[in-house]
Amino acid sequence: MAFAKWLQGTHWAVSISGSDWAYPYVQWTHFSGLSLWLGTNLAVDLRLLGVGRKRQSAAQLSDALFAWNWIGFAVAVCGGFMLFACSATNYVPNPAFQLKLGILIPLALILHIVVQRKTRAWSETTNTPTIARLAGLIELLLWLCVVTAAVSIPNYDVRLPR
Amino acid sequence: MLLHLGEWLEHNSWIVAINSSVVLSAILEVAHYAGFFLLVGSIAIVDLRVLGVAARRQTATSVAEQLFPWMWTGFASAFLSGFIMFAGDATDFSGAWIFCVKMLVVLLALAAGIVVQRSVPKWDRAPSMPISARLMAFVSLALWIGAILIAVEVPAISGVG
Repeated sequence: MAFAKWLQGTHWAVSISGSDWAYPYVQWTHFSGLSLWLGTNLAVDLRLLGVGRKRQSAAQLSDALFAWNWIGFAVAVCGGFMLFACSATNYVPNPAFQLKLGILIPLALILHIVVQRKTRAWSETTNTPTIARLAGLIELLLWLCVVTAAVSIPNYDVRLPR
Repeated sequence: MLLHLGEWLEHNSWIVAINSSVVLSAILEVAHYAGFFLLVGSIAIVDLRVLGVAARRQTATSVAEQLFPWMWTGFASAFLSGFIMFAGDATDFSGAWIFCVKMLVVLLALAAGIVVQRSVPKWDRAPSMPISARLMAFVSLALWIGAILIAVEVPAISGVG
């Protein structure tokens, strides 16, 4: 909480939250990064599940998307950190935010890294192993839970913007 | 006429019921966000491939054919959920100029996306990616990123949403 207070009081955080025009640009950064990060994650998870076109194997697709997947992640984290900094003291006690950042994101992120490392081996056989389908499905659902927790944050605190 | 349509939508019992439920409006928001993540993410990757900065070991056609169905799935999810949220506040949204700009930019971005989708196999047959292809991919990418910016400006400027 001391960190949250300090962060919220830093010069740049105050200038974002105190400005009418800066805040949407920070949201824009967060959402553009998320489009790349989650768009590519979901495409690979769906391929592992065997849903949609099979023009590429899961390994080919994962390989094609790898670099921009992590660029998207980096952009989303930068945007998200700035959004957090704008009203850190309101986010820290928020139950939806705690669930999102404390449990759901770490779980989804660990599973994502495991899936990314395993995809090549999973693609070697013609039939995707059941464990791979299951991992794809769980990762997909976990990210949807992350988004659900995120949109629920303002429901627990009217001071936080939608 | 349009105003009447807006008023009718706003007072439609289904629209009112969906938008006033906390759980259902959360589901709408998740469908809208996840839908446009999938939409913008997949079209952006194809645009970046045409621009020569993503997935260079694979042909643009192969990347595009794998991803375009998800672009349309994402669009359908974002459009349907977006329409229901719009309908709940139809007169306010249609009266906000920034919302009209958002619709225009989304429409242009969609048109650019369709052009890219239809032209990728043709561009791929050329010995190197034509300049016109790179230009079109850049326009598509800029329009989609621009659509997100205008979308977040809607509540900031008009106070609606």
